[in-house]
Amino acid sequence: MMEQKYEEEIQMLQQEIETLEAEQEETLRSIFIEHGDRLQRELTSVCDERGGAQKHALSKLITEVRELEKNLRRQTEINGIALNECLVKTLHKSERKLVQQLRLAGHCSALLFQVEFAVTEIQEDDALLRRVTELNIVVDGVEFKDFSAFVSRVEDTKDLLLFFRTLRTFSDRCEERRQTFQHFQEKYPDVVSLPEGCRSELMIIRSPQLPGISMTIFWKIDVSMAGVVKPSLELLLKMPDQAREFDTKKVMENGPEYFQSLLRLLGVEASIESLIRTASDATSLVKVFARVSQVC
Amino acid sequence: MDSFMETMEQGVLGHLMALERGGMGRQKQHDSQRSETLKARAVTLRAKRDQLKHHTDVVKTLKDKIVKGLPLRDEDAAADGFVELQKSLLTAWRMQLKDLQRAHHLIGNFAPVKSHRAHCHCRSIVPSLSGGYDLVECKDGKSACVSFHTAFEGVRLETYSVELDLTRAVQISRHNVPPSFPLESLAKRTLQKDLKAFLQTLSQNLNALAARRRQVCLLKELVGSVEVMESNQLCSVLVLMCTAQSEAPKAVLCTLEYGDLAQCLPTRVSIECEDKVLSGSPQWKKNQSLLLESPAHTALLTMRRMGSIS
Repeated sequence: MMEQKYEEEIQMLQQEIETLEAEQEETLRSIFIEHGDRLQRELTSVCDERGGAQKHALSKLITEVRELEKNLRRQTEINGIALNECLVKTLHKSERKLVQQLRLAGHCSALLFQVEFAVTEIQEDDALLRRVTELNIVVDGVEFKDFSAFVSRVEDTKDLLLFFRTLRTFSDRCEERRQTFQHFQEKYPDVVSLPEGCRSELMIIRSPQLPGISMTIFWKIDVSMAGVVKPSLELLLKMPDQAREFDTKKVMENGPEYFQSLLRLLGVEASIESLIRTASDATSLVKVFARVSQVC
Repeated sequence: MDSFMETMEQGVLGHLMALERGGMGRQKQHDSQRSETLKARAVTLRAKRDQLKHHTDVVKTLKDKIVKGLPLRDEDAAADGFVELQKSLLTAWRMQLKDLQRAHHLIGNFAPVKSHRAHCHCRSIVPSLSGGYDLVECKDGKSACVSFHTAFEGVRLETYSVELDLTRAVQISRHNVPPSFPLESLAKRTLQKDLKAFLQTLSQNLNALAARRRQVCLLKELVGSVEVMESNQLCSVLVLMCTAQSEAPKAVLCTLEYGDLAQCLPTRVSIECEDKVLSGSPQWKKNQSLLLESPAHTALLTMRRMGSIS
């Protein structure tokens, strides 16, 4: 019967349309992934162009694109996480279920990351269930040396959100450390040195008059498996053996503890400043290590 | 008489037959109407398919040009063709931007959206199911509404709203955060200095609160054998009574203290039982760790599965 023929044709056409739409989506995505920069340049000129009829036909699209770009910029600015690369692959899409694979690359301040994950969303009555089913994380940067336990844990529990929340907090603490270290190196270039750079956890204070003695500050930023970020500072004093004999005030032994008390009372910046002053002020040091200057 | 009857019969039969024919005619009409509808639909779909095919070809040509490094603007190209090309490009760009937006949402970044209304509606335009929050600014910039969407284990939970007054200094004008939540003290500490930090901390704490609450619900639902002896509005403490499986079932009291309100896991777990041997056993030491490291309902389910509790 004619009807049946039509029905068959309709079904076939619907499937064709679905396939074509999916194909087009994939091609468009791939264009952007591979040639995004060039296209953005071309399109920026399109958007700025003051055409007549052309602009009319595309004005809605152009406005939409502009809005999206603006929102994304603000989102990045406010959240501190910039995404440079975003690859989305839709594995399954039906009325109630969506399965996608995403590959993201970006940075949070100077911390680089690459995250690959799979997410399944199921619409169930009035609740939307979203589950991350796979998660792979790669982080790059000198700061991350104590981060790997946390990353492994988060990959196991597939807690994507916890990873990014923690990354942000961790990045903030790293920035604080970097700024503080850099500030002191600039202010007291003769006394303060950062042998592993301003992004590391080491700062060494040495008095030019007493080169054998050094104070090393370890500013560690620990990340627990549950994503709790805890900075902690420690002081290590180095004194040549001969000088230790004269350490009547037991500065070597008590120094680290003294530093902890200082931290509690004055906070990080003031404590470090105080240490540096002690080191720069040769007289106070000399009082303690009177004979050392002769030995060294 | 017979002829009369015949005529009568013919008449009645004829009438009946005529009726029947009429009915079939309507059926045929109905059939042909349906045919027409289907035909029309087929035609529409055919047109859509053809348009899509053409568009796909345009896009493929575009890709080809890009790959070969050719200029995309053809001087002799027909105006129509050129507009279509730009349309494809813009569509591709929009798709990439939408993907980025989705990615941001999935990783928990909130999306600020400018409201085009004169007054503020606390309505999230892009629903965030990732436990993040949305900020809607009013056009005049005098106030903003922040909606905190909480979620736990992929399920969306409560949404809390906070309205901010931005006229002189940033202040909270209205909110529906539960009274037991230390909102004022949090605001006092960070709101004026750093709005972003305040919102992030608030989001984290509200999310953790919703998560802790949900764990209590889930454990009541899934592990009926465990009794909740004590709980509070902020879910900062949870006291559970379990029945340990042994020759004589014994009651074990588990106290979960949530010292850090930004976390959904406890900071301290203590196990109490009349039978000190039991509470000090390696099995219960392990249970104690389980309760510290995983959500309450998950830990209890595991404990039940391992035969530790009934």
